[in-house]
Amino acid sequence: MSYLSPVDYTEDRDFLDRLQRRLRGDLDLSWMHVDTEKVACTAQNERRGLTFRDLDVGSYGYSALPEVIRHNRSFAPRGAALPPGLPDLQAEVNRTSEVWAYNIEGYYEEAMTRQWNATTDIPWADLAGAELPEDIGKAYAQLLTFLTEVEMIATDVPAKWMGRLAADFFEVKNFIATQAMDEARHAEIFRKRALSTGYGLMRASRHNEWNLKFLRDADSFAEASLSLHLQAEGMVLTLFRFSEYVSPTEADKKLFRLVMQDEARHVGYGMQHLKWVLDHHPERREIIHQHLDEAENFVFGAGYATEVMEPFIILAGKGTKKEQIAEGVRIQQMFQQKQSEEYFDRLAKCGLPERRERSRLWKILDLTLRQQAA
Amino acid sequence: MAVGFPSRAFFEALQAEMRRERERFSRLGYFDTVFGVRVLDDARTPLACTLAFEVFDCVEVRDGIDPGAVDFVVEGPLEGWKAMLDTIHRLGAADTTHSLNTLTHFGETLQVRSDDPIGHDKLYRFAESMQAFFDLSARVDFTYPDGTRPPAARGAA
Repeated sequence: MSYLSPVDYTEDRDFLDRLQRRLRGDLDLSWMHVDTEKVACTAQNERRGLTFRDLDVGSYGYSALPEVIRHNRSFAPRGAALPPGLPDLQAEVNRTSEVWAYNIEGYYEEAMTRQWNATTDIPWADLAGAELPEDIGKAYAQLLTFLTEVEMIATDVPAKWMGRLAADFFEVKNFIATQAMDEARHAEIFRKRALSTGYGLMRASRHNEWNLKFLRDADSFAEASLSLHLQAEGMVLTLFRFSEYVSPTEADKKLFRLVMQDEARHVGYGMQHLKWVLDHHPERREIIHQHLDEAENFVFGAGYATEVMEPFIILAGKGTKKEQIAEGVRIQQMFQQKQSEEYFDRLAKCGLPERRERSRLWKILDLTLRQQAA
Repeated sequence: MAVGFPSRAFFEALQAEMRRERERFSRLGYFDTVFGVRVLDDARTPLACTLAFEVFDCVEVRDGIDPGAVDFVVEGPLEGWKAMLDTIHRLGAADTTHSLNTLTHFGETLQVRSDDPIGHDKLYRFAESMQAFFDLSARVDFTYPDGTRPPAARGAA
């Protein structure tokens, strides 16, 4: 209990007198006369409902947010009257460019309408009757173990930052809240699926956890977003699509389509945020590159860890016979190439076309693919 | 009366089926994208259509594709589309080897074309709605250019 009230209300005579007057019907009503904007926002598109974009008016809006939030250091919602004496909550993130993204309000509304339920939206009864061969079942359970591990930290990271953002970043905070919910649901569904395969959880991944710790311990929200939304989730998005591709049952395909949707939305936020940063603060380009240098080092170790890569090969080749493994390796290489190309394409779209040339990850992957093709 | 595939009428039939399933698509969430569909057929002029989705509805089906006005284009030979539609018609929905993501993932059967990663990623942001939309073709009575029909639904007389 490090924060104590500046007032002991049960002993404060002024407070108690006021309370008595109110209870006698002597109302103050000063709050009725605050000088806030009187608005009556309506849905511009009735089929869509009343959205945050419809509320983007005057002092309630987000279009005219300043770069630095100085005036509201409290929890007061943007546009409310700020009486004297509000506490300074010491938000750590007070610069708009550290969090804002083009179309942030759209991503939030999309997230809210596209929520789904891991318990009821998957035909678990169908899966209960789907027996998998042992090698496929174990490989799938290992993949699900890895994904559960990833999604648990992907839940922790946005949740960690949510309360550290200034209250005026209302739309971003809400979007991050949906992301935390999405990631918790992903951890839930991967755990449920692993525990319904007949094999349960397999082995945690040391290299993967080093990468996850790097994500969790980012020094700033901007760094966390870069490595979580764009780099990690971008690569995981390609992985989910690949997982849908190799899924052994129709219910598993549905599972991966549902998680893919959420992941693509998070990647969208990450891209629109990086574009915002580079458009408004091009001087941060070098810092971004330096962070990506280390992020890519971690992801290379995590993505190519034995317990991560081998299940992909077995699932892609549909077994462990020699010819199946050869086919699995061929498909796995196509996946790796696609994953890295999509990642660098996204960075180029955000305004970092030079990343490919600078990246050691790209050079290693390119060299590996050339050697394997020769 | 049967419509032809590929044709704008086929996609208008899907649009009509989607409107009958408004409740289901509402549960899947906002579906905001404009994409092109191109069916390549060596024997005929390729069909190109643009489908526009907004909120929970397919709001427009039009001929042609303006590359600057779509998020992505799904294209492939008639045989690739036929493989998907035949499976959907037979089973009522795509199976493990014929989902839209599986058919387009490595571009082996159908390809996704886009110059814009944000537009391209909409295929995945709305993946379940996209699949549900194409699965509605199980209800459409249609014929292929050679006059054949997709296989009858499993269990149908």
